[in-house]
Amino acid sequence: MDEPITLKQLNRQEALRYLGYSGGTADRQMEQLLSRCEKKLLLAAVPRFLYQVFRIRPTNAGIQVEGTNLCLPGRSIAAHLAGCDCAVLMAATVSESVDRLLRVAQLEDMAEAVVLDSLAGVAVEQVCDQTEARIRRRFPDRYQTFRFGLGYGDLPVTLQADFLKVLDAPRKIGLNVDSSSMLVPVKSVTAVIGLSGHPLDKSVRGCWSCNLRERCQFREKGGHCNG
Amino acid sequence: MDRDFRKLLEKDYVILDGAMGTMLQQAGLRMGETPEMLNVTDAPLLVSIHEQYLRAGADVIYANTFGANRHKLAGCGRSVEELITAGIKNARTACGNVRPEALVALDAGPIGQLMAPTGTLRFEDAYEIYSEIVRAGAQAGADLVVFETMTDLLELKAAVLAAKEQTGLPVMATMTFETNMRTFTGCSVSAMALTLAGLGVDAIGVNCSLGPDELAPVVRQLSEWSRLPLVVKPNAGLPDPQTGEYHVAPADFAASMHNLKQYGVRVFGGCCGTTPEFIQALSGMLRREGNPIPKNRLHKIIPAAVCSATKTVIINEPRIIGERINPTGKKLFKEALLRRDLDYILNQALEQVRAGADLLDVNVGLPGIDEQEMMVTAVLALQSVVDVPLQIDSTLPEVLEAALRIYNGKPVVNSVNGEEECLDRILPLVHKYGAAVVGLTLDENGIPKEASKRFAIAEKILNRALSYGIPKEDVYIDCLTLTASAEQDGVMETLKAVRRVKTELGLKTVLGVSNISFGLPNRVLVNQTFLTMALNNGLDLPILNPNIPEMTGAVRAYKLLAGMDCNSAAYIKAYVDAPPATGKDLPDRDRPAGQIRSAEDADLPKNLTADQAALYEAVLSGLKSEGAALTETLLGQMDTMEIVDRTLIPALDRIGSDFEAGRRFLPQLMMSASAAQASFEVIRTFLLKTDAKPVSKGKIVIATVKGDVHDIGKNIVKVLLQNYGYEVIDLGKDVAAERVVEAVIKHRVKLVGLSALMTTTLVSMKETIARIHENGLDCKIMVGGAVLTPEYAKEIHADFYAKDAKESVDIARKVLG
Repeated sequence: MDEPITLKQLNRQEALRYLGYSGGTADRQMEQLLSRCEKKLLLAAVPRFLYQVFRIRPTNAGIQVEGTNLCLPGRSIAAHLAGCDCAVLMAATVSESVDRLLRVAQLEDMAEAVVLDSLAGVAVEQVCDQTEARIRRRFPDRYQTFRFGLGYGDLPVTLQADFLKVLDAPRKIGLNVDSSSMLVPVKSVTAVIGLSGHPLDKSVRGCWSCNLRERCQFREKGGHCNG
Repeated sequence: MDRDFRKLLEKDYVILDGAMGTMLQQAGLRMGETPEMLNVTDAPLLVSIHEQYLRAGADVIYANTFGANRHKLAGCGRSVEELITAGIKNARTACGNVRPEALVALDAGPIGQLMAPTGTLRFEDAYEIYSEIVRAGAQAGADLVVFETMTDLLELKAAVLAAKEQTGLPVMATMTFETNMRTFTGCSVSAMALTLAGLGVDAIGVNCSLGPDELAPVVRQLSEWSRLPLVVKPNAGLPDPQTGEYHVAPADFAASMHNLKQYGVRVFGGCCGTTPEFIQALSGMLRREGNPIPKNRLHKIIPAAVCSATKTVIINEPRIIGERINPTGKKLFKEALLRRDLDYILNQALEQVRAGADLLDVNVGLPGIDEQEMMVTAVLALQSVVDVPLQIDSTLPEVLEAALRIYNGKPVVNSVNGEEECLDRILPLVHKYGAAVVGLTLDENGIPKEASKRFAIAEKILNRALSYGIPKEDVYIDCLTLTASAEQDGVMETLKAVRRVKTELGLKTVLGVSNISFGLPNRVLVNQTFLTMALNNGLDLPILNPNIPEMTGAVRAYKLLAGMDCNSAAYIKAYVDAPPATGKDLPDRDRPAGQIRSAEDADLPKNLTADQAALYEAVLSGLKSEGAALTETLLGQMDTMEIVDRTLIPALDRIGSDFEAGRRFLPQLMMSASAAQASFEVIRTFLLKTDAKPVSKGKIVIATVKGDVHDIGKNIVKVLLQNYGYEVIDLGKDVAAERVVEAVIKHRVKLVGLSALMTTTLVSMKETIARIHENGLDCKIMVGGAVLTPEYAKEIHADFYAKDAKESVDIARKVLG
């Protein structure tokens, strides 16, 4: 078992961006709200993560994850993993206690709720970042792609159930999926990272692969989510 | 045939098998495949694995049925019954070949879907799924049912009830804990022990997640909370971070298991990473050393306690039961119940818990509502936001039973009394569901005046409870408070009875405190004094309004003075930062020091009085208590429409247009909305007091569609719509199309708002719209949510697409005015 991941602070700037602040600074009232919410969230969040490396093989049906019955179909994942001989399947969550925190906040204080919601999104991304860093440390000689989320591009979100099953995620980190392919607990992420012995073309990462590209609020303002 | 698990449990030790998954993977099972398919496709493999475990010394083997449920098997082409029957048969065949007297357990794990409120699986669905499993297992000849690797106590409760109600088989249940002594869903060791013992499980314990060394603290705690035989089925240590493999050697595993014997463990086995060698080593160790069970375990004293899944309250010192969730004498509460305004009830709960309630009484009985349905809805909703245990309060057995079924943890039942009929109707329910119960000292003849007669009724209730198998520590007695102004002599009689019940019967005591002062001036003073007297006479569970600081404070001070609050820690914590204020005069926490008015707020609407202008600004700045206080003032000066239409609505419009223009952001919009909400609450209360009709600009039904549990967007919309005076009927999340249709018809609404966040749930949205149209309902539909586009909204025949919450208000104005 890897050392647990801990969250010490959250990227508030990022949370503000999720909330629609583009470039502007938060006023004092907002800063206080952020501080209060950050404290609550750090207290409630239990970061859990899981990853496993598999050899992969392109087939007509998609990228076959060797040793499993999981096959990743579509052009976007094929492009993402081009030049890679292995893929890391990863999952991360800040756990069910955050769901409860969000439920309570929505009853007591909606302003707090929307800020907590945004911070929780930031928190799970930070858990992903730390997981990615560990993968990098573990495979220092390999080149690594960014993480490609299920549901992005033409990689179907309906693969969540099989993906989690391969990782044994329900048992190992309490991460489940419901019949609509939503991850539960809500603030969770699943993603695929390619590994290669050769340098990879980083430019492939971008909005083209994102299924929100037509209605992305960041793109509307000419920005980018860096996601 | 003598294969009786309960008898087997009388032995000093019972040996289970080791991992099935590990063995199957060694035999070539691929990750993500359905292992139960092998029951039919490769029976010889299964038989051989079982045989290896039997030869290694297993007394009980688990059939390969862990994931054989309707949900996990969907699409595999085989039915639950088929795979379970084959699984049991393989195990039985192996027993026949090696050890005919060995037992075969039907093994069932979690369904694989999270229960509501986090997920969408409902209690009754979970119950149905487990019923199918246990019926198939019993039919196929399993000797016992095992539920293992469980993390959700409520899911486990559904499973246990299914096993008990659908089969007569013994039940063993093990949950999976992490090093923080909790399961993934936060269930604690004590909550598991209290709840499962109450449900009549035969043996409880832990499996998976950790090795035997790491599980020791969990097992120790479990032994402190349970008299039942304990089960331990750990992994072979912790997995290697590089390979995921387990590295504890069989001999070391056995040595570590030896260390767990001291906690009274009776049933030993292995989970992930353990193989027949481990079981061999384990059974060798047990045969050599034996495992005499400490005699006192069977008579172990378990503290009087109740719990939710995440919080256990031990009644070892006075604990406050909050009385506010009860419509009796409360206009606002009655009105909220009739409107099915769950948020109101939930806020009552949160407020009491923040004020210091340790338990909450829940009573939703009101003529004109379906009490049973309402109680179930309320208990589920309450447990999704507060973790304190609940006291289920109803006079109707069917209401009590419905709530007891779905309650997550061990609740209190309020109440029984000394009447024969009442005892015989309600105590069996208390026993079946493992609750604690409040016994009122009254009977067919009413409330006796003398303490001795009340004591006699208490004794009768205790004896009857014991005869039904309810443990003594779960009987709490209420000696009944009589009103001092009417029956002054009765006060001391009540206290005398409390003392006798406590000291002579050794039972915990309950009293509703507030009645004492009825009809007297300065009621709080009388209540507080009586409370202190009662506590000093042995009252454990005062039922009171914790929002009154004098009452909660009296309990805190009593605990300090009686030496229960060690080093006065709890008392100091409660008061160190706060003056003993009533909560009304506290400054707004969000208030920026010394300034409300900022440059941009200067352009006020015309012709406002100074107080109106102040309210306008308070809403703009999102100051809740300020807004409420100013509204109180304004109510004395002008009529409510003047406040709403000329002050609140313009302020909200201003915020809305700032939001649209990007000058304000969502959190600020919500802060202002909350301030406006606080102001509307004041107006609402005022109108109810004067018996005037609350302002309603029209009704709107909103819902997050079936399959979707992301509802923050919908809740934002709701707050804004309410701000503008619309009556919002919020159906919640994961709402089936039929429920939307029903609500539209029932409330005759002209506007429905639907939200969906996922591409996968847009289908449900489409379906819901189709159903509304099919039923020929004359209402407009607006839709919104992250993945929606105006084009798609049109395609699924929605009337409006709302790109954000603000726009939903514009739409409502267009449709409803």
